Amino acid sequence: MWRNIAVIGVGQTKHGIRRDINAAEMIAEAAWKALEDAELGPEDIDAIAIGNMQGFGGICQAELWSGDLFAAPGKPVLRIATGGTTGGSVAQCGMYQVASGLFDTVLAIGFEKHSDSKEPGATMGLSHVGLANMFHLLANGVDVRTSFAYGGGVGAAAGVSAYQACEYMHRSGCKIEHLDMVAAKSRRNAAKNKYAHLQWPNCTAESLAKHPRFGEIVAYPLRLGHICPASDGASAIVIASEEIARKADRPAWVRGLAACADEENQQAENAQGVSILDTSEQMQCRIAAMKAYRMAGIKNPREEIDVAEIYQPFPHQELMYSERLLLFDDGKAWIPLEEGETEIDGKLPIDPSGGVLSTNAIGSSAMQRVAECALQIMGKAEEHQVPKDVKNAVAHGWGGSTNFTVVTVLGDTPRLRW
Amino acid sequence: MSKKVRKETIAVEGVWPVGSYVYKAPTLYQELLEGFKQKKIIGSLCTGCGFVYVPMRNICGRCWRKIDARVTVSDKGTVKSFTLSQAVKKGQVKVLGMDPVEMGWLKEGERLIMVLVNFDGTNSKYTTILLNAKPEEAHIGMRVQAVWKEKPEGKLSDIIGVEPIK
Repeated sequence: MWRNIAVIGVGQTKHGIRRDINAAEMIAEAAWKALEDAELGPEDIDAIAIGNMQGFGGICQAELWSGDLFAAPGKPVLRIATGGTTGGSVAQCGMYQVASGLFDTVLAIGFEKHSDSKEPGATMGLSHVGLANMFHLLANGVDVRTSFAYGGGVGAAAGVSAYQACEYMHRSGCKIEHLDMVAAKSRRNAAKNKYAHLQWPNCTAESLAKHPRFGEIVAYPLRLGHICPASDGASAIVIASEEIARKADRPAWVRGLAACADEENQQAENAQGVSILDTSEQMQCRIAAMKAYRMAGIKNPREEIDVAEIYQPFPHQELMYSERLLLFDDGKAWIPLEEGETEIDGKLPIDPSGGVLSTNAIGSSAMQRVAECALQIMGKAEEHQVPKDVKNAVAHGWGGSTNFTVVTVLGDTPRLRW
Repeated sequence: MSKKVRKETIAVEGVWPVGSYVYKAPTLYQELLEGFKQKKIIGSLCTGCGFVYVPMRNICGRCWRKIDARVTVSDKGTVKSFTLSQAVKKGQVKVLGMDPVEMGWLKEGERLIMVLVNFDGTNSKYTTILLNAKPEEAHIGMRVQAVWKEKPEGKLSDIIGVEPIK
């Protein structure tokens, strides 16, 4: 049985196109902000976990040459990369280390710097990731026209997401208008978050759909305005043992965590991952959610969860994963969306920070979900703070080709021991 | 000599030797492609859970057993999902530095209908393109059949795509 742990400090850089600083400086900014927030010095940190998804951003292995800037010398450093889940996996890695009793304080950092690459970024291209697979398809004599289908015309996770959106809409009966509503909500919320990338104050579903550029459908059923940006940014959290966390003003206690993988469902990767008949099924997310809730002692997530931060680079995923996180009935998440329940001041706010749809620095994205949940519990989310007492918050992340899921439940009180 | 002050970093044009990648394709593909020569789609059958994968696999993702059995499946199937590409104009997009229209991969203004097909008798999807249909005709549940090249050579391109069963 593990010991109680808490998030006691959160640091984020402004996310966006950051041509003003380099990757190492960006990592350092987030790391030092987190230390400052935790009221600890670098000497108080026992170990460091760091991650980005190399190949997605333009920078490879920045942790190799930026260690000095986040006080790594003399400490164990672990580096983690699991695709989109990277930040969530890094956070959970830090949690494992403190919960196990091996260390008392761990600094967990996630970062990505897309703008250092000339490639269109992880969202619209990823040809630099797909390249290796492309070669072997060519070696086996694939027709180039057909090979476009492997990536869904846009490539990688964005490709599988277009197919997934189509399957989800078919299963749930939701319309493109609902995707517009999710995207508009995300842009509106992001305008209240000073660290977010794409900010669009007072954005509505209509203004997004009718926009000459963002309203254009790039890969049916997704509009350009439905797709996340390729951001630069870093975020960090400090995880501490119960003894240290008790000294903090209002720590965000880790009450449950789980990770689960399913079969690969991406087409491009060696053309092998095609076995999941419905990519919108996402059973691994349901399993991870059930495990995390059980660990957290949450019996009725619909009543007990006060805010959810869902990893949703594409709008159907907010609906789909909110169902898989057991917050709404299967295929029915668009009904509470229509009724405004998921707005910042709604019954169950989802992504009050704007989420991944508005800010996607891959390695930082799933870390930000944990960080934002912690901020909501600590009451430090400023303009996008939900107007209620947050007792429990759930942070989600997906990665791989939507087949990895991490779920972390944070709360205002420590996990009960039994 | 004074240094020129630049706001941006300097971009250096160069050739990146992408040919230096030497990736190993899954050896199982050879079995699939041998079947293609006879216009047959061969899948792997897991004797543990009955799952049929196309392309075949060594290990079952559902029950983690090693898979040896093979089955020939139908080349008719059902569309499980689809997406549409944009109508591409010459010089609009580059794929790996090449213009798809210039290379003859796409016709000017053509929209590709990309589909995931569940061939009858399989539990997996095959990714390909939908031929002989208009974009507005594509739907989930559409019955389709494989369009084979006249003289298959044992390549992935032996299946040109799928077309609706009329």
